[in-house]
Amino acid sequence: MRIYYLFKKELIEILRQKEMLFLMLVAPILQTIILGYVVTTDVKNIPVQVVNLSESQDAFRIVNRINHSSLFDVKKISHTPEDYISIFKKGTSKAIIILRDGFNEGRRNLNYPEVQILMDGIDANTSGIAAGYFNGIVRHYIMTDIQKKGIEFPLKNKTVIRFNPNLESINYMGPGIVALLLTIISMFFTSIAIVREKEQQTMDTLLISRLTPLEIYTGKALPMALLGLIEMGIGILVVVLVFGIYIRGNLGYLLLAAAIFLFANLSYSLLISTLCTSQQQALFFSWFSMVLFLLLSGLFTPVENIPTAFRWLADINPLRYLIRIIREIFLKGNDITYFINDLLIMSGITVVILSLSLFNFKRMVSK
Amino acid sequence: MKRIKAVVLKEAFHISRDPKSLAILFLLPVVMIMVLGYSLSFDLDHIETVVVDYSQSELSRSLTQKFSHSHTYSVTQMVRGKQSQTPEETAEEMLKSGEIKQFIVIPHDFSSRIKKGKTSHLGVVIDGSDSNIANIIHQYNEMLTFDFMAELKDIKDILRISTKLYFNPENKSAFYIIPGLVAVIMIMISALLTSLSVAREKETRSIELLFISPLKSHEIVLGKTAPYIFIALIEGALILAFARVMFHIPFRGNLWILLMFSLVYIVTGLSLGITISTVASSQKVAMIATLLVTLLPSILLSGFIFPLDSLSPILRAFSYIVPATYFLEVIRGLILKGAGLKHFASQGLILIGFSVLFLVIASVKFSQQRKAGK
Repeated sequence: MRIYYLFKKELIEILRQKEMLFLMLVAPILQTIILGYVVTTDVKNIPVQVVNLSESQDAFRIVNRINHSSLFDVKKISHTPEDYISIFKKGTSKAIIILRDGFNEGRRNLNYPEVQILMDGIDANTSGIAAGYFNGIVRHYIMTDIQKKGIEFPLKNKTVIRFNPNLESINYMGPGIVALLLTIISMFFTSIAIVREKEQQTMDTLLISRLTPLEIYTGKALPMALLGLIEMGIGILVVVLVFGIYIRGNLGYLLLAAAIFLFANLSYSLLISTLCTSQQQALFFSWFSMVLFLLLSGLFTPVENIPTAFRWLADINPLRYLIRIIREIFLKGNDITYFINDLLIMSGITVVILSLSLFNFKRMVSK
Repeated sequence: MKRIKAVVLKEAFHISRDPKSLAILFLLPVVMIMVLGYSLSFDLDHIETVVVDYSQSELSRSLTQKFSHSHTYSVTQMVRGKQSQTPEETAEEMLKSGEIKQFIVIPHDFSSRIKKGKTSHLGVVIDGSDSNIANIIHQYNEMLTFDFMAELKDIKDILRISTKLYFNPENKSAFYIIPGLVAVIMIMISALLTSLSVAREKETRSIELLFISPLKSHEIVLGKTAPYIFIALIEGALILAFARVMFHIPFRGNLWILLMFSLVYIVTGLSLGITISTVASSQKVAMIATLLVTLLPSILLSGFIFPLDSLSPILRAFSYIVPATYFLEVIRGLILKGAGLKHFASQGLILIGFSVLFLVIASVKFSQQRKAGK
C-alpha cells in the first residue's frame, strides 16, 4: 500500500510535463514510422555511368538491361573513355560500367563483350551488393542468349527463400526498431530517477519516510515498467498497422520477453542512477551505454562479426537477446523451444543486474 | 566583445567544476570508436551451408567441392537426418534454429540427367530473415553454379566480368564504418555538450540572473557556446587520431582541410545543442531531445549505414536536414578519395548556414523567454 503512494508520486512527476509526454509517446511513433521506411537495406538507384566502347548488338542490349533495372540509375552513357577517378572524386557516380569487344576467335558465335565494373569502394556493403547484381544481369543475358542459340543448360537453381519470401528488410528491421526505442526512452527516464532526488535533496525526505529501501526501489522502477510496456504495445501496434508485419509466433512470449528485458534495462538504469552524482553524469553515462547496446545488438550488423575480444560485450547485452527473440517470433514464427536459451540467458542477466543495482542502492541508502 | 568574454569565463568555470562529466565525455568516445570500429562489419565470409547430396556421383561431388573450396562458404555434408527425419527435414530444422544460412539439395537423377543433356534442378533454400544477407547469398550461389556449368560445357570464359574497387581495393568495411562513426560521435558529443548548458540554469533558476543582466540575448547564447568549441575540437582531433592509429585508415587528403571542416561541423553540433537547450524546460528533456535528434538520424539518415541513393524521395529530403550527411560526404571524400577543397565548397557553406540558423533561433527563443521571465 505504501508503495502505491510512491508509485503515484512518480507517475505524477513523469506525467506533469507535457513535453515529456510528447517525447515518450508521440516521438517514438514518429521515429518508428520514419525509421521503418529508412531502414530498407535494399540497395537501389545507384548512380552509374556507362561507357560503351563496343558496337555489338549484345553490348547495346546489355546496356538496355542495366537501364531498366531498378538497381542502377544511369546518369550518362558515353562512347569514349574518360578520367574515371575524377568522376569518383566528384561523387556524381558510384560506379562506372565499361563494355568492350572481346576477342575470342574460337567461338565467333558465342562472343560476348568484355565487361568491367569500376566502383567507388568506400561503401563496402553497397559496392559488394551492386557488383553481385550487375554480375547477375550480364550472366542472365548471356544465359538466355545461349539458350536461344540452342545450347541447353545442364543446371538450374530453384531457390526458395524462407521466413521473408519477398526479402523486405522492414520485416527484419521494424520490430527491432521498437526494441531500440524502448531501450532509449526507458533508460533515459529511469537513469535520472534517483540522481534527481539526490540533486534536489528530496532523497532525504524519501529516506526518512517509513518506506523501506526495497519499497523505494520498487516504487521507482514500477511506473517506468508500466510506461515501458505501454510504449512497447504502441510500438508493436504501429509496426503491425503501418507496415503490415504479421506476427507469426506467440504474442504472449513476445510480451514476456519484453517484460524481462525491460526489467534488465530498468535495473541497469537505476544502477547508473545510484552511482552518479548529477543528472548530467547519469545522462551522459546512459547515453554512452545506449549507443553500445544499440550498435552491438545485431540489429544493424551481424553479431558474429564482432571480434572475440569484444564479444563478451555483446554477450552481456540484453538487447541482443531481445532482438533475436523478436525475430524468432515475428519472422520465423518459431515456438519457445527455439529461443528458450536466449530467454534464460536474458533472465540470468536481468537477475544479476537487478541484484547488483539493489545492493548498491541499499548501500547508498544506509550511508 | 568584452561582455561575451565574461559569459565565456563563467561557462568555463562551470565546466571545470565538474571534472567527472568531462572525463566521461573524453573517455567514452574513444572507447566507443575502439569497440564499435572493430565490431561493426558487414563482411560475410562463412555462409553456413548444408549440402544434401542424394546423387552421390562424381558430378555432384565436384559441385559440392566447388562450394567448399570457395572462401565464402563453410559447407557440411549431410547424409542422414536426425532420428527418423529425412535429411531435408533436419536441414529445415537447422535453418529454423539459425544454425545454417542455407541448404542445397542435389537430386537423385542429377548426374544422369546432365549426362543425357537434360536440365537438372538444384534445390536451394535460404534463410531470408535478413534480406540483405539472403540477397548476397543468392547472388553468390548463382555465380558459383554458372561457373560450374560453364566448365562443364567447356565455354569457360564466356562471361568476362572484372570488378575493380577504387579507394578500397580489399573492400574492407572499416573504411566506410570508421569515418561514419567519427561523424556520428562528433555531432553527438558537441550537441550534448551544449544541450544542458541553458537547461541546467533553468532548472537551478540561476537563469534569472542572466535574464536581468545587461547582456544581450545573442551575447549570452554565443558566450555559452564558445568555450565548448575548444573542448569539442580536442575531442574531434582525438577521435580522428584514434581512427588513424587504430584502424590504419589512410589519410589521402589534406589534414588541415579536414580539421577546418571538423571545426565547422562541431560548431553546427554545438549550435544545435544550444538551440535544444533554450527550447527545453529541463535537463532531461534537453538530453532526450538531443539524442532523438542526433543519434538515430545521424546513424540512419546520413548514409552512415544505409546508402542515401536507395532512400525514397521523401526520406531523401529528410537526409538533407541532417548535418551528418554533409560531413560524411566530406570526410569520406577527403580521407579516402583524396578529394580537394573545391569538391566540398557547398557542403561547407551548408554546414555554416545550419550553424547560423540554429544560433539565431536560439537567440530569438532566449529573448522571448527573457521577456516572459521578466
